[in-house]
Amino acid sequence: MAIIAVLFLFPAVYNLVLSFQQLTPYQSPAEAVWVGLRNFVSVFTSPQTATAAINTALPFTFATVAARVVLGLGLAQLLQSRTLARWRLRGLARTLALLPWMIPPVAAVASWRWMLNANTGVINQILTSTGLVDSGIPFLAQTSTVWWAIDTILVWRELPFVVIVIMAGLQAIPQEQYEAAELDSANRWQRFRYVTLPNLRPVLLVVVLITTIQTFNNFVYVWLTTGGGPGNYTQVLATQLYSAAFIDNNLGQGAAIGLIMSIVMLIFALVYLRITSGKENL
Amino acid sequence: MSSGIQAPSHDYTFRASDKRRPRDLLVIVPTFILLLLLVFPVLWMVFTSLRPASALIGGTGLSELFVDLGFDSYVRLFQGSDFARFIGNSLLISLVSTTCTLILASVAAYGFSRFRFRGRYPLLLVVLATQLVPFVVLITPVYLFFSTLGLLNTYFGLIIVYVAMTLPLATYLMLGFLNTVPRMLDEAARVDGCNTLQAIFRVILPVAVPGLVSTGVTTFIATWEEFLFASVFLTDPNLKTVQVGLYGFFGEYATDWGVIMAAATISAIPTIVLFSIIQRRLITGVAAGSVKE
Repeated sequence: MAIIAVLFLFPAVYNLVLSFQQLTPYQSPAEAVWVGLRNFVSVFTSPQTATAAINTALPFTFATVAARVVLGLGLAQLLQSRTLARWRLRGLARTLALLPWMIPPVAAVASWRWMLNANTGVINQILTSTGLVDSGIPFLAQTSTVWWAIDTILVWRELPFVVIVIMAGLQAIPQEQYEAAELDSANRWQRFRYVTLPNLRPVLLVVVLITTIQTFNNFVYVWLTTGGGPGNYTQVLATQLYSAAFIDNNLGQGAAIGLIMSIVMLIFALVYLRITSGKENL
Repeated sequence: MSSGIQAPSHDYTFRASDKRRPRDLLVIVPTFILLLLLVFPVLWMVFTSLRPASALIGGTGLSELFVDLGFDSYVRLFQGSDFARFIGNSLLISLVSTTCTLILASVAAYGFSRFRFRGRYPLLLVVLATQLVPFVVLITPVYLFFSTLGLLNTYFGLIIVYVAMTLPLATYLMLGFLNTVPRMLDEAARVDGCNTLQAIFRVILPVAVPGLVSTGVTTFIATWEEFLFASVFLTDPNLKTVQVGLYGFFGEYATDWGVIMAAATISAIPTIVLFSIIQRRLITGVAAGSVKE
């Protein structure tokens, strides 16, 4: 416990101090200069922060969380279907569906960058050979496609987690409720709408919160695909923090961004703890 | 490995509708086409790594999938770069971190499981809350902290970070497993004259081996996959981990995708193998953490 405290509390407090200082990664902390609120002023007044904040919230977090929940619901139902069980294919189907989650994010990004490559990538090869487009699309280098590409990679890799949790939720639904619905001659959609969804509500809530928190803080998917580019078009708060601290060599400004992110996260975390507390383990 | 979560038993009671019907193929075939699309990026990565370099220059199409497969790219990878060294670095860091995390998590979880001390509940909440800590935010303060202590560019520094990162979840997982170990064992150990630590390591943990394995695997995977801290804290090329080395290839071998895919494939092998080992347990673990009974 002491270790956890030292390794989390100390940096948290130090981050606060640092956000009021100016310092480069090549100086020692003793050389730090107090600059008051200047870091925060420059963070809040820079249009780049506004872009990063909007990017983090909408195309990065909201879009991918929504996509994961919708696709996860569909895929989980498919994997649970009685048809697959009849043919003893559930296990195989489930293993295949989990495979993306077993690939380290960096390797996943590597594979997708190769597939999305403008000239030699397999996706563009298929598109050009079928005559859909005349020349390869540089998916990660043009603003009209770059968010679609990043979101696809992220959702592909992170979807299995959502599927697993929803599947567990589906199995906790008492079968009797479906039988009762069938007696009332409810159709497939009605069974989903009035039995499955209400029962899954708490599970979905937890899934949304966990994935939101994880994505909000995620660094690798943007950094490894575009580095925040083209220009600063896909910069998110996590990559902005990194760039400010280690590329622009302004640790104080990085700390200020970190502090703002922490406050936003704290709100999510409190909601999450409120929901999960009272679990049997505690 | 076949069934991750056991369906409720009444699901399997015989019903008239449980007979296999040709019509089922209308569900099964599209499902597997969909799954094939899902795993395609992984297959493509592996196949690309096995294609000869000459075949990759103009891009490679679906039709040539099985032509001329070989390990040329892997030879180029290991001859032209320090990737073997990166693998060694990663193994060392991940194994040591995992061992430390397991030891500390076992003791902490034992305390939570067996003693009802004051402040136990808030402490557990803190353990849970650290799972939500945005690690990217900690990078600047920890970087400075470590530069003062001279821990940058050392295995030790990164191992400390990884232990701190993985300890909360590992404690939580171990707590779940230890709660299922009967207390009678503790008492028996006590009667035989063990102190608390001896009781944990000689009596309780051997019973909780499945829990140790899945917690250890989860921890190992998390540290093996980590990129951000490894890339910031280990800038010495000799200390790079697999993930950081792989990222370096994006620029270095920008035209030799065979080598990049070979490195990516190797970096994914441990995680795929370990995931497969604990798949069933992992799924139930995730399920238990998210679904209220």
